[in-house]
Amino acid sequence: MDAKNVALQQQTRRHFFSRCGVGLGSIALADLLGMQASSGESSAMRNPLAPKPTHFPPRAKNIIFLFMAGGPSQLDMFEHKPKLTELSGKPIPESYIAGKRFAFMDSSHRSELLGSKRSFAQYGENGTWVSDLLPHTAAIIDELTIVKTCKTDLFNHAPAKLFMNAGSGQFGRPSFGSWVTYGLGSECEDLPGFVVLQSGPRGPRGGGVLWSSGMLPTTYQGVPLRNQGDPILNLSTPANVTATDQRRVIDAVRELNLKRLAETGDEEIATRINAYEMAYRMQTSAPELMQTASESAETLKMYGIRDASESSFARNCLLARRLVERGVRFIQLYHTNWDHHGGPTENLETHLPQVCADIDQPASALVMDLKQRGLLEDTIVIWGGEFGRTPMGELRESTGRNHHIDAFTMWFAGGGFRPGEIYGETDELGFGPVNNPVHVRDIHATLLHQLGLDHTRLNVRFQGLDMRLTGVDEAHVLTSILA
Amino acid sequence: MTTTRPLLAIACILSVQNLALTRLHGSDSVQFNRDVLPILSENCFACHGFDESAREAGLRLDTLVGATGEADSGAHAVVPGRPDESELIRRIEPSTGGEMMPPPDSGKSLTLSQMETLRRWIADGAKYEKHWSLEPPVKVAPPTIAGVEHPIDCFVQDQLRSNGLSPTAAADSATLVRRLSLDLIGLPPTPEQLDSYAKAEKLNLERAYLELVDHLLESPHYGERWGRWWLDQARYADSNGYSIDGPRQIWRYRDWVIDALNQDMPFDQFTIEQLAGDLLPNATQSQKVATGFHRNTQINQEGGIDPEQFRIDSVFDRVATTGTVWLGLTIGCAQCHDHKFDPISQQEFYRLFAFFNNQDEPTLKVYEPGVKVPELVAELKAAEKALDDFIQSKMHAYEAWEAALTDDEKSKLPAGARKSLAIETSKRNANQMRELFAIEVGKIDSEYQSLQQRLEQLDSEVNGVVTTMVLQERHTPRKTTVFIKGDFTRPAEEVTPGTPSVLHSFSSTSDSPDRLDLAYWITSDNNPLTARVMVNRVWQMYFGRGLVETENDFGSLGTRPTHPELLDWLAIEFRDGGWSLKDLHRRIVTSHTYRQSSTERDELRVADPHNYLLGRQQRIRLDAELIRDVSLAASGLLARKFGGPPVYPPIPDGVMGQGQVKRDWRISKGDDRYRRGIYTFVYRATPPPSLNVFDAPDGFSTCTRRSRSNTPLQALTLLNDSAFFEFSQALASVVQDEGLNFAFELCTSRKPRADELEVLRSLDPHSAARVMLNLDETITRE
Repeated sequence: MDAKNVALQQQTRRHFFSRCGVGLGSIALADLLGMQASSGESSAMRNPLAPKPTHFPPRAKNIIFLFMAGGPSQLDMFEHKPKLTELSGKPIPESYIAGKRFAFMDSSHRSELLGSKRSFAQYGENGTWVSDLLPHTAAIIDELTIVKTCKTDLFNHAPAKLFMNAGSGQFGRPSFGSWVTYGLGSECEDLPGFVVLQSGPRGPRGGGVLWSSGMLPTTYQGVPLRNQGDPILNLSTPANVTATDQRRVIDAVRELNLKRLAETGDEEIATRINAYEMAYRMQTSAPELMQTASESAETLKMYGIRDASESSFARNCLLARRLVERGVRFIQLYHTNWDHHGGPTENLETHLPQVCADIDQPASALVMDLKQRGLLEDTIVIWGGEFGRTPMGELRESTGRNHHIDAFTMWFAGGGFRPGEIYGETDELGFGPVNNPVHVRDIHATLLHQLGLDHTRLNVRFQGLDMRLTGVDEAHVLTSILA
Repeated sequence: MTTTRPLLAIACILSVQNLALTRLHGSDSVQFNRDVLPILSENCFACHGFDESAREAGLRLDTLVGATGEADSGAHAVVPGRPDESELIRRIEPSTGGEMMPPPDSGKSLTLSQMETLRRWIADGAKYEKHWSLEPPVKVAPPTIAGVEHPIDCFVQDQLRSNGLSPTAAADSATLVRRLSLDLIGLPPTPEQLDSYAKAEKLNLERAYLELVDHLLESPHYGERWGRWWLDQARYADSNGYSIDGPRQIWRYRDWVIDALNQDMPFDQFTIEQLAGDLLPNATQSQKVATGFHRNTQINQEGGIDPEQFRIDSVFDRVATTGTVWLGLTIGCAQCHDHKFDPISQQEFYRLFAFFNNQDEPTLKVYEPGVKVPELVAELKAAEKALDDFIQSKMHAYEAWEAALTDDEKSKLPAGARKSLAIETSKRNANQMRELFAIEVGKIDSEYQSLQQRLEQLDSEVNGVVTTMVLQERHTPRKTTVFIKGDFTRPAEEVTPGTPSVLHSFSSTSDSPDRLDLAYWITSDNNPLTARVMVNRVWQMYFGRGLVETENDFGSLGTRPTHPELLDWLAIEFRDGGWSLKDLHRRIVTSHTYRQSSTERDELRVADPHNYLLGRQQRIRLDAELIRDVSLAASGLLARKFGGPPVYPPIPDGVMGQGQVKRDWRISKGDDRYRRGIYTFVYRATPPPSLNVFDAPDGFSTCTRRSRSNTPLQALTLLNDSAFFEFSQALASVVQDEGLNFAFELCTSRKPRADELEVLRSLDPHSAARVMLNLDETITRE
């Protein structure tokens, strides 16, 4: 066979394996079987989660995305707008809202400008404005890159959350974490590569589709670590089965599967044998991961954890650090609820301060803890929601703000982002950017770039199209916020 | 901006086929699509194709006009009939001198046989053809091979032979019986069935096999197995999707699919009823239920939304799904712009959209067969009248009662009655009068009681029935326009219903064509796509891959068929034979190609490692639902109950709290705890974990092929999930009562070998049962 045909065959093979998510397990298994893995490349492509080469040298290896589900009010946290306060209670100047669409903008709700009731002060070397809701964040402000001109396309919760996660409001697309594990594989042998943690009064709108692998194989789907019961579904050996019996069952399954592998030559069986081994390791490693009580009192205090066994955003932040230490690639924390419309349980006066208190200290502690352990260099921490909130007030039972998609604030830390940077400015009322607009696609492109992936090259064929996280519209790597 | 990238992707995919096909068809006449196009697209189109921005030297080779016209140099690349005067030949053949094409630095080069193919094509007149799938299928007589009778085998073995390969021998009987049973009804054979087959086979092997095929195709389980195949494409699930994801009632549609397949409803009829059953003359209830196909779109129940936006999204989905399922075309690509690769314009997308833009989306009350609804409704009306007349006849007694009511008595009446009392007697409606009358006057009147009971019973018979979601055409059509970039807030020019001009012609008897016309257009004999697309999608279930690998894209970015003549033969047999799916199944599973062993052979591993040439069968991990079904069947727990409302088997705690709204999951009692996977209630946003982990589709969009992952979470499910653990306990009793041999056979349909038995014997019965339910072989069809 000539060289070209060999190359073609390899291409076919790669195509087949990447599409079907099938193949032989790791080199360790080859050893087990007394088989010789034919080359480094072939064994890498056989295990769908084996580490894969990046497109160019990466600047970061892991991502922790602190997702503030519901849409935090940037105007009460990061955006100091004296003009808005001055015009509070006045109608919105027409020039700001012409041609824009908002959720819930029917006549039953008043929509006049609403100045923030919070007090703002300047912090850090650049004099960054932060409100009194976030004292801990203010204290580490020089570690953060703050982007004030984030922009998304969709203004309802579930589609907007999907958009932030999957680059599309349509269900059925792979989420960011799935793209990343698909593109890079996993460096963790005994935990999933993409893990989801949840806290707050309810699950995020959209549920499991937010960490779905979409058209990618379920291998790349996010695995929720649960706060109650098994941390991973079906992780525990059934009651009445001893650890010895469980091991004996797994050994016997392996032995019989090996016999079948020898008879049929089907590499899928080898992959399955490997999967059982990893499942077995997960049965030990996941509970061990959850043992946050083993952390020092000092660490627990730093995160603001009073009871190490109690589920909270703070404990999830600590778990995120422990996951990074164990080589887990993509960790996403969801914290509800930030949807402060002014309803009975969702207002700016009482509930926003509460949820800010939930996240302020732990998120800051996470950044500093990663830093002191030398992990921040390789890890990007992201803070933000699916959109922000309007400069107009919503007066229902109490005071709130509506969904706002044209300019909202997110922050980034570590992983090659430029510390202390403030990027993008909004107009004096906070309606839209006056410079440097940052679309969700730009954020995705930038994050992939830091991981060593070119967003135009990370794609998968589906229904005749090359699908990718950033879609078909233009996306820019935000080089000016990178170190 | 991105056009060069997909081009590379095409080149990549075509080259795979190229390898096999150019070797296969060296001898007969050159055909453009089969022989020439792969060479041109791989080597030439990147610079001389349809992408104007990347085009060089003023030359395009993707059209006859471009290839024969004058390039920038003044030369003509192709002069039909005259290869020696064709610049293309001069550039590709090294002996003729000149600047070589493809350029050496492109890394591409032509083989001698490819050069010869291009020369012969030009010599024969340089005929271009439409994209292969847009040409009508052509029936070619199967190649003659001594000793081979089945047409499928003739096509397949002919191609194997030209590649110097031979087919694999048939699998052993036990494997075959298990394969057939899993493929046709989704359940493993019982040990008794295996025994009786073994006996029948000794008398007459072929007859035993054919009888088994017929027996399985007649089983009502056939509809469950293949119903799921269709429900994937119909994006069926039991909830509304999006973030609220409330439950919905549409299982009557699921049962309609199962019944239709069991009755072998011809596929054209099957299509017409689902796309436009409501528009058929004197549409039956069943035909209306069938329109549930396009009600399997999501409904957004979130607050603050614009309902029109989500109605339009569901219409977008209906157009895209219709395109993918029946035409195998990615029509959805033209929602925002003209299709980049296939000749479908954005305007044509919206002409298809117009067919689906004109219905209401009601729920339909579903009556049991035999119920005469108009008569029943008439009876109900009559009963109402009888009751009201009776009340009128007793108005004196009533008025006396009302007049005597004290304020205290009034205040103790139910709120509704108090409200009615406040209304002037003459202004009360019939319901209000009935309510007031019943309080006292009616209570003591036996005649009133019997009239009232009659009414209640009829009311529950008419109104208290199961509902299902359907389509219903509107009397006044909605206006349809193009939406700029697919944005419903940016309407552009108005369009009328119509079909893409690149396909067969559309006709309608009325001025305003509707979905029924579209359904007839799809099932027309002139349609080059639907029959091919469907036989291919059935084929992929049997071999793990279609004859066209991109089962959802028969367009120019899709792969070409590995066996084009076989595909056409199957398609024409299917269509001309009356669109019988059961005949299609019988045709495929009776071939030797299907019956081959799936064991790898060294010869094939080297020459055709991915089995494109079908020199063997393929081991296929079972679909999510079937893994449950096989475990249920093996453990003896399976409830063989058909149809009805979806059920709630045990799932791990806490799963239903993961969505935005925590959903109730009360575990079904009795038989319903042990039903087949197809009957499990599926919430789109929080699907049952044991189905989800084995790649059951999410129901958000049409699924024409499931992915087949192989993960540690699957291992955890089979090892530890409470449902599977319960199955293993039941199987442990079998081990104790009937022995390991029997239990092993229930799982794998074969007897264990001595060495396997030894492994199992070293374990206690329950552990052995768990092992057997976890075997790769148990969850695989070999």
